[in-house]
Amino acid sequence: MLDIKKTLENETLTLALKGRLDTTTAPQLETQLKEHMARIKHLVLDFAELEYISSAGLRVLLAGQKVMQKQGSMKVTHVNEVIAEIFEITGFNEILTVE
Amino acid sequence: MQKEQRRNSLILQVAVLFTISVLLTGFLTYFSQSVLTDASVKKQTEGLASEIADEVKLAVTEYPAYEWLLRYWYEHSDELDIEYDTDYGSGTRTEEKCRLLAGHYPGMQFKYADTQELLAMPEADQKLYAEITYSWLITRVNQIKRAYHVDFLFCVLTEDSYETQFFLFSGADPGSVRGTSYEEIYPLGVRVTVSASQQEEMRNAQQNSAHLADAGSYVDYYAFLDMIDDHAVLIGMTYDLSGLMANIHAQTISRTSYAVAHQVFLSLICLVLTSVFVLHPLKKVQNSIRLYKETKNSETVIENLAKIRPHNEIGQLSEDVMSLTKEIDDYLNRIQTITAEEERISTELSLATRIQAAMLPHIFPPFPGRPEFDIYATMEPARKVGGDFYDFFLVDDDHLCMVMADVSGKGVPAALFMMVSKIILQSCAMLGKSAAEILTKTNEAICSNNQEEMFVTVWVGILEISTGTLTAANAGHEYPVLKKPDGTFELIKDRHGLVIGGMEGTRYREYQLQMEPGAKLFLYTDGVAEATDAQNQLFGTDRMIEALRRAEDGTPEEILQSVDHAVKEFVGDAPQFDDLTMLCIHYIGKNREEGRNCGERADH
Repeated sequence: MLDIKKTLENETLTLALKGRLDTTTAPQLETQLKEHMARIKHLVLDFAELEYISSAGLRVLLAGQKVMQKQGSMKVTHVNEVIAEIFEITGFNEILTVE
Repeated sequence: MQKEQRRNSLILQVAVLFTISVLLTGFLTYFSQSVLTDASVKKQTEGLASEIADEVKLAVTEYPAYEWLLRYWYEHSDELDIEYDTDYGSGTRTEEKCRLLAGHYPGMQFKYADTQELLAMPEADQKLYAEITYSWLITRVNQIKRAYHVDFLFCVLTEDSYETQFFLFSGADPGSVRGTSYEEIYPLGVRVTVSASQQEEMRNAQQNSAHLADAGSYVDYYAFLDMIDDHAVLIGMTYDLSGLMANIHAQTISRTSYAVAHQVFLSLICLVLTSVFVLHPLKKVQNSIRLYKETKNSETVIENLAKIRPHNEIGQLSEDVMSLTKEIDDYLNRIQTITAEEERISTELSLATRIQAAMLPHIFPPFPGRPEFDIYATMEPARKVGGDFYDFFLVDDDHLCMVMADVSGKGVPAALFMMVSKIILQSCAMLGKSAAEILTKTNEAICSNNQEEMFVTVWVGILEISTGTLTAANAGHEYPVLKKPDGTFELIKDRHGLVIGGMEGTRYREYQLQMEPGAKLFLYTDGVAEATDAQNQLFGTDRMIEALRRAEDGTPEEILQSVDHAVKEFVGDAPQFDDLTMLCIHYIGKNREEGRNCGERADH
């Protein structure tokens, strides 16, 4: 139940996520990141249509953040209220760039 | 039983088909034979009749003056003295007449006398000549009739537009009587009135030179000979075909019977071959399949089938069945292995579940000698083992440490990570470190060796039992819920740090809460707030707080039951995705029963 729309421009990869990012769908995002991360400098995750994120999803974000902060940047955009609260509770807003 | 019937019906079906084809063959053979013989009989008859007619014609036209003779016989039939059916050489009248005439005309060849010569004769000699030639002709016609076995052979002159036949001459067998009665042979001059159909036949014969009329077993034939004025002279004959027809019929029947017998014989051979080469091997294949169904022993089946391997479709079928049983066997073996493996894993998981559960404080009340607080906690993993955990233990006589944590992910990996986290947290706490220090140290330990990028959210709090002061720190965990003695359950939006295992070097800060006697603190994991129903709706903290408030006066156990009940009711039939872990502490303080408590504590 997760759709990932990807746009690759120069060295910036934008992934627009739609649906739920949980235990069953997190591997999808992980696969996408593993495939492209070596060749990009900037990663943008568009959460405009993402409804929910579970700890398995957070784990993928954390891994992405760790890699991207070494080779460029990663930011998360269009975060809805539910997810903003999850970021706040888990302390992820302290390490992620949320716009 | 049903299959047995089906097998029988197959051979029955073939037999029915053969029977139908045999009947069809019989019918067709009979029909074609009949048509053929009918046609050939007709053709033969016609050929023979025309041959006979030609013979008779020849006998008549041998006389150069035959037209004169025909006319003379017709016109003078009443006056002529005719000797029929004569046996020459024994002094017949005709011989005498011959000598008499020869005396009148020495050197004359009577047979070849032409009309001129005859017209030159006196009338008496003409009459003599007509009588002699008539007798000769009759003798000749009798011979022809005998030679060809014709029933009637005659020559007629038609009168009154075919209404009447005037008999000129008729062939007779030896011993026949000349006359007009029944079974007598007509002499010269008999007139017969004929039927309309016979008139038609004669008319046809005159126009087409010959006509064959088929009247069942009798055949009438007329051939045109000559015209005398406007009278047609016709040669007629009648055949009795009944004997011939019977013979032909018998032949047809015998040919048909032969064809049918031939067909029956072939059909029987086909049936036997079908049975031997198709049904019998098929039955064997079927029996082998049944045997395999019962015993699941592919070796026996392959052995049986190997014996009956004809090089045709049935051979292919039996080979297919052989390979199928082998495949099924392999499959069954694999399933058995997998099942055994699954059972082993399941057993191990059950054991792991018990070990995990045993790791958490699970005997309630846990501190029977400590009436200052009442604590209760539950953990219900979504799978056999979970990543959530709670913990509480006395650091020292006056300090109770409480932990609520949630490992990212689920199942065995989460359970392993949970065990590590739990032990590190407890070790740090037992060293007497503060809540923030516990988290900072644990994070360092976890991050130093965290290749799988797993993390755990932790809320840790240390309650000073004597004063009710709670020092807590939160590493990305859910907000705790507090009920003050005079108030109700409220979320405490405490200060959050990043999850444990998230980032190396994270520093955590702690905060303090004052728990008055009668205060209750509720801790939980996201399995509670994020329980989801069939419509994908979240349970949410609002519903959770409602459930807490409904049971706010109850014991910690009752409060947890209230929340558990509310969550289960909300989720309904939807599967439980996340672990469900809760802890509730009721701080009683030592004011109420100070004396007794002090005395008890002195015992420690």
